[in-house]
Amino acid sequence: MSRRWFLFVGGGVVAALVVAAAILSIGDNITYYYFPNEAIENRGQLPDGERFRLAGTVVPGSIAEESDELEFVVTDGSATIDVRLTDLPPPLFRDDVPVLIEGSWQGDIFVGDTALIRHDENYEIPSEGGAGESG
Amino acid sequence: MAGLRILWSGTVVAVLYGLWLAWSVPEDSLQGPFSRMINIHVPSLWLAFLAFGVTAVGSVMWLIRKRFRWDRLAEASVETGVLFTGIGLVTGMVWGWAVWGVAWDWADPRLTSTAVMFIVYVGYLALRRAVTDPFARAQRSAVLGAIAVVQVPLVYFSVNLFRTLHQTQSIRPDGATMPDEMVVALLVNVGAFTMLYISLMATRLSLSRHAAQIENDRRLAGDDIAPPRMDNLQDV
Repeated sequence: MSRRWFLFVGGGVVAALVVAAAILSIGDNITYYYFPNEAIENRGQLPDGERFRLAGTVVPGSIAEESDELEFVVTDGSATIDVRLTDLPPPLFRDDVPVLIEGSWQGDIFVGDTALIRHDENYEIPSEGGAGESG
Repeated sequence: MAGLRILWSGTVVAVLYGLWLAWSVPEDSLQGPFSRMINIHVPSLWLAFLAFGVTAVGSVMWLIRKRFRWDRLAEASVETGVLFTGIGLVTGMVWGWAVWGVAWDWADPRLTSTAVMFIVYVGYLALRRAVTDPFARAQRSAVLGAIAVVQVPLVYFSVNLFRTLHQTQSIRPDGATMPDEMVVALLVNVGAFTMLYISLMATRLSLSRHAAQIENDRRLAGDDIAPPRMDNLQDV
């Protein structure tokens, strides 16, 4: 009898975890992140303060420290967005890295509080130009 | 067993060589020393996928042939698969904490699907503990083992099908997005982990066979005889 009970409990725990993981991931926004051109396109559905994640590459030379905050520009190759980061950036934050920033539109700029490095699949050795990129 | 000893000796050599290569290749310009972790993280998870594939084969073969050797194969492969998935998850978390800036993100499909796969196969092992009759245990495990394998392509292709934080594949059939020396180190480690999988399986299956034999022997005498029940007698 106790073994069958264990089975149901175990199955229930697994099912609950799956549902929880699914809900947690969809909870915030349906789309995991927007690229700059999409964030600009959907500006109507993303009013000031509506949190979402912005993905893009840090434009080289755009990083500037403004009092306690960091200002830089992200791009997806065509569109650019000015970003202000209110918290500390991750350790590997620098020019030309892909980033993922959580925050919201505030007027013409994106104000974020959490930034991650969204590392791509490329590996490079410093002395050589780069890796064999095959798309 | 001499065979196992030779197998493990070769495996230890291969793993040490792989680790040495992982240590001696140049670092990635952005990640620094953390780029070396790919040599544990990727081989572990590739072998976990293989292990769960082997479990699916064992499960289906049990359902068709009903020979316990397939059930033993399926079970042993889940154990190794869970081990390798765990190693992959932990190395991934350390790498993510260092490179992404965060050790986990539930919104990422690759991470979530891998975690679910891990939990489902741990559930497989728990399921086996909950059933004492060997035949029923094999039956129920086989159904789960045959179905759960669908998670493998789901996990692997999640980075291609969905928007993810986790990057897409660096090693692909049409080429690699890494310098050649890094590719070599990675493939050597895949080979070493494959030997590790084979060695673990060989050892575990040897144990399973012995355990099955003991269980069989125990069932010979006295099993069909039960003491008389005294609790359902009326007026004695």
